[in-house]
Amino acid sequence: MYNYVLRRVGFMAVTLFLVTLIAFAVTNILPGNVALVILGPNATEESLAALQAQLGLNRPLYVQYFDWVLGLLQGEMGQSLRFGEPVSALIAERLPRSLLLAVSATLIAVALSIPLGVYAAVNQNEAPDVAASMFAFIGISMPIFLWGLVFILVFAVWFNIFPTGGYTSPTESLLGSLKRLVLPAGAMGFALTAYIMRMTRSSMLEVLSAEYIKLARAKGMSQRVVVLRHALKNAVIPVITVIAFQFSYAFGGVVVLEEVFFWPGIGRLTLTAIQSRDIPLIQGCIIVVALIYMISNFAADLLYAYFDPRIRYGGDE
Amino acid sequence: MAVEQHGGSEEDGGFLSESQKERIRAFAKKFRSNTKAMVGLVIVLSLIFVAVFAPFIAPYEMNDTSVEDRTQAPSVEHPFGTDDLGRDIFSRVVLGSRISLYVGFGAISGALLVGAVVGVVSGYAGGLTDEIIMRVMDAAMAFPPVLLALTLLVVLGPELVNVIIALAFVYTPYIARVSRSAALAERNEAYVESAVARGESDTRIVFSEVFPNCMAPILVQGSLNVSFAILAEASLSFLGLGAQPPRPSWGLMINTGRGFMETAPWMLLFPALAIGIAVVGFNMLGDGLRDVLDPKVEAIE
Repeated sequence: MYNYVLRRVGFMAVTLFLVTLIAFAVTNILPGNVALVILGPNATEESLAALQAQLGLNRPLYVQYFDWVLGLLQGEMGQSLRFGEPVSALIAERLPRSLLLAVSATLIAVALSIPLGVYAAVNQNEAPDVAASMFAFIGISMPIFLWGLVFILVFAVWFNIFPTGGYTSPTESLLGSLKRLVLPAGAMGFALTAYIMRMTRSSMLEVLSAEYIKLARAKGMSQRVVVLRHALKNAVIPVITVIAFQFSYAFGGVVVLEEVFFWPGIGRLTLTAIQSRDIPLIQGCIIVVALIYMISNFAADLLYAYFDPRIRYGGDE
Repeated sequence: MAVEQHGGSEEDGGFLSESQKERIRAFAKKFRSNTKAMVGLVIVLSLIFVAVFAPFIAPYEMNDTSVEDRTQAPSVEHPFGTDDLGRDIFSRVVLGSRISLYVGFGAISGALLVGAVVGVVSGYAGGLTDEIIMRVMDAAMAFPPVLLALTLLVVLGPELVNVIIALAFVYTPYIARVSRSAALAERNEAYVESAVARGESDTRIVFSEVFPNCMAPILVQGSLNVSFAILAEASLSFLGLGAQPPRPSWGLMINTGRGFMETAPWMLLFPALAIGIAVVGFNMLGDGLRDVLDPKVEAIE
């Protein structure tokens, strides 16, 4: 296990290095570099050259890359062209909001999917099971942004229970903040429910056919005790891994969902950066989102390995 | 060509094709008895039918605008209603199937072409080659798919062809990973050892022997990824970085419909339904194929 973790951390460092290469490469072959973005399309050759020299853009690419990575290591990501603020400050402000959304969505998904999965497993192949798996299938089959729009249509437009979007800080008004969180987190949570429910169901089915469950039944324990106290405890282990993967999926999905709900998190920041060709901000956002996505996937891998000691890294080796 | 590939004696070739026929028959039988796979196949085939014959099915020209017919509710003349420019939504949804399938199949064909070759070669080669290839794939998978596609589209420009290129790039590592693990499993099979003993070249072993045996998991992953690509295209077009107006992309129609949610919800509902049906179709087909093709399931039964 210890070796496994060390190897994984090593691989993650390599991956992270490659991620910075990709982010740098992609943003540096953008049509029109930073100087052109700042000065606009009517700039003269001389003024462009002067600004490029001032920003260090005329240096060789590898020097620029090295400089940029050194800055990254110190948490320095440059100035945003559009906002005129440090990229790190902008991200520090937006990121917690996105995390709040992703965490709430995951919690909602867990609260919905585990009871549903258990219920489906206990009633295997009967009407509730079929209904639950259809529900799961529909959940998976619609893009997250569509669930967002459907939720807005039903709960904000038709029934007018919740606001259509926007963000209120919890320090400003806790209730107002919660009210605005319910729809986006609910829509995302609904989309995540399907996978966790499926996993809970199949894991429960496996456990329910185990010998010790038969024994517990033979001892005359009630269905309720057998299912909730004996089976669920063991069945929930593989589910935890899926939940961790779903969190990273949720975080990856916020880019689109935030646009639907006008939620000012890192997803909308990335979109704004892309639309205004704000290269330092694009780079910063890409790196931070990739980093969090990687860490949560890594955590899921570790949990998976921790709960399943049969895992030897490399499979057949 | 075929004779040369089979080589060996006449009987050998005959035996092989007979066993292949047998396998195909067994596959068809299992496929037919799998409800999920069949429903998925029916949906996918219907979609392809609609896409191919779209101009004949659509009652109106997709870009026929009409001021007096703006945002009309569904009726006999306009079964799905009309949009803010008076265009018939049914016609646009029907023609939009072409975009979704074009992007879905286009992107995944590209990803399959590159990913399967890279993955199988990586898994068969093993060692340092495998290590390097898989680390690069890991890096590409460290980005959330839609974010990576968005970033690539910024470089390439928001056009439908570029959406296909970007999504092919995004889904290549997923195909490669599945192909690699399939190749890893095949590498230790007896037929590979005997091919090595016969002195066959690695290239020949990989492409004419290992590769065909890895097809099942690769195809399952491919058909599931078509549904992801359709979803991703809808998301990108919704964000304004995919298909551009006046193309009848479902994602784009939803983006426009968003502004008319209170007055004309049908502008949003029908394209949304279309996306849902397409994705359900490919997911069911992929899931069903997995049930039918997965050797592990067979072993348990």
